[in-house]
Amino acid sequence: MSVRPETGEPAAAGPPPAAVAAGPRRRRLHPLTFVVGAVRELVALLAAGAAGLLVGGVSTAFYFTLAGLGFGLAFHVAGWVTFTYVLHGDRIELRRVLVGRSVKSIPRDRIRGVDVSASLPQRLLGLAVVHIDAGAEGGEGTLNAVSRQEADRLRRVLLARPAADGRPPRRLLARVSPRWYLYAPLSGAYLLTPFALAGSVLGTLYNLGDDLGLITRQRVESVGHGVAGAAPALAVALLVLLLLAMPVMSVIVFALFNWDFTVHERDGSILVERGVLTRRAVSLERRRLRGVELSDNLLERRAGVVRLGALITGLGDAAHRGRLLPAAPRRAAEDLAARVLGAVPGPLVAHPRAARGRRVARAVAPLAAVAAIAVLAGQPWVAYACAALAVPAVPLGLDRYRQLGHASDGTRLTVRSGSLRRRQVVVDHGAVIGWRVRRTLFQRRLGLATLFVATGAGDGGYSATDMSESDAVAFAAAITPEWLAPFIERPAPEPPAKRGAEPRP
Amino acid sequence: MRRSHHKDGGGPHPPRLRPPEHRVSPRAIAHWAIEYLLLWGLAFGLALGVAAWLGDEGWSGMPGWLSGRVGWLPWAVGTAGVLMVTAAPVWRYRVHRWEVSADVVYTRTGWFSREWLLVPVSRIQTVDTEQGWIERLLGLATIKVNTASHTGSSEVSGLPADVATRLAEQLARRAHDLRDDAT
Repeated sequence: MSVRPETGEPAAAGPPPAAVAAGPRRRRLHPLTFVVGAVRELVALLAAGAAGLLVGGVSTAFYFTLAGLGFGLAFHVAGWVTFTYVLHGDRIELRRVLVGRSVKSIPRDRIRGVDVSASLPQRLLGLAVVHIDAGAEGGEGTLNAVSRQEADRLRRVLLARPAADGRPPRRLLARVSPRWYLYAPLSGAYLLTPFALAGSVLGTLYNLGDDLGLITRQRVESVGHGVAGAAPALAVALLVLLLLAMPVMSVIVFALFNWDFTVHERDGSILVERGVLTRRAVSLERRRLRGVELSDNLLERRAGVVRLGALITGLGDAAHRGRLLPAAPRRAAEDLAARVLGAVPGPLVAHPRAARGRRVARAVAPLAAVAAIAVLAGQPWVAYACAALAVPAVPLGLDRYRQLGHASDGTRLTVRSGSLRRRQVVVDHGAVIGWRVRRTLFQRRLGLATLFVATGAGDGGYSATDMSESDAVAFAAAITPEWLAPFIERPAPEPPAKRGAEPRP
Repeated sequence: MRRSHHKDGGGPHPPRLRPPEHRVSPRAIAHWAIEYLLLWGLAFGLALGVAAWLGDEGWSGMPGWLSGRVGWLPWAVGTAGVLMVTAAPVWRYRVHRWEVSADVVYTRTGWFSREWLLVPVSRIQTVDTEQGWIERLLGLATIKVNTASHTGSSEVSGLPADVATRLAEQLARRAHDLRDDAT
């Protein structure tokens, strides 16, 4: 094994000095790491132990608790002692040597992102967890946990390309204004968070109580009787309170998750930081950025609010880690999109009129089918219900048609679709890795085609639904002429040629 | 929004994709027919069983309007199966075509719903050939061209086994020569 000096590390970085032998230094995680782990267990066990002490005095359960505590502490210390990591010039090695020996080696040029996050106790102790993501070929590794400075240094060193030296400048690309937190109730997910929160709190309480033996059949039953006996007015009041709390809670939860959401640029990566209890920092490598996605729902659209996401190749959990802006005014999102990728191409080209009928038919058809079966089966009420539902389905179909569009500005292409949840994707021309044209029997009759843009990032493919057939081919041919040219059929000009040579974009 | 720049077929020659050059092997018809026969045979058997069981038991939870008509089920499944076994394989054979140009793999697949797929050789990550037991009986093979995107990954079934092997080797070699990052 060739041992190379630790290149790429800026001289300015100041790790705690230690005896450095020749070659890269073997490092350990921060000593306080096992304190965090042990303290967490200590709290849980202390609670259990105290309860045990209260209930049964110094019993076997209490000794078990003590033994568990000792074992947990030993486990954490052992975990800390046996784990080391070494930063080589070309790779980072994570090794755990106990009885067996496991060495994970992540090539540095495969590293796609380095996330730094810290939970509340870790932040108090100045620690941070470093998560290294190297895509499908490189695997991933976690350093849980190192000091904050070391985390920053690792992120800088691991993401630095060889050319960079010195501390590269950090440029602010976007910052979420606190006023935008008020957009939280517009997105359905945050509205439901109070329920999820209440559910998880109740569940935790129940489990804890169950573990401690506080929950018995009698108590559950007496609580049940108490609830059943309470005035219905109380239940209604609680429900109203919960409904009123929903928007407020959603804003609070949104603010907790997206507190001081900032997007920075630093040597070839985009750095997204957010959160208050757990501060998350995600580094997205710019050379892996293939496009961006603007999405909104009906309410957000009315308020002119969109969410911005990045399409990055080989990014796991892209829905969360690829987020560039939470709910933000459209102008701000487009502005950031222009800074990270380039201007969003526009205006969009509308799809042919034939597509409109198809969108409406697709919205109404399932209801019509159910209604038809219901009538055959002699269940008129089901049919009436379907008819009632079909009334809003028509404007939905019309809106789906209105939202369809595609455009290209010579370097980037964009496609848009959807109504209740609308998505507009902007993809770099160079990121297109294939084309798929789909035409069902109905589309063939109407002269329509759905064009899929294949990319190696995001969902892997994005569709422009129901373009006219010739538009679909022309669109693809304009973007990658050399791929399509051999397969394009140009029949002899048919009778009345109204225009001259077709403009080649 | 701006209207379509190609005036919806109003131009002198709207661009169209021509069909790929090569058909798959005619034995592919037999392959698809056997596959559909097995699948729909199984469905028919199940339908027959369900109808017989429901008819005998006179299951009380069944709504009245259904009980009289349960005997139709195997007939409906059987008719659909016969149609699928006889019509679909021939239809698919007429649609399935493939071609490999200098730098693009071009395929047309499907029957009711057709798909034209263009995969540039430089973006290919792996090329697999596969043979199921029916395919091995008939001397056929399926070739799978995989890229970083599922949407951009192509599959041609019903190729003669030797053609598939040769093509896979050739594509893998050329993809290796042309490959950049492939994403």
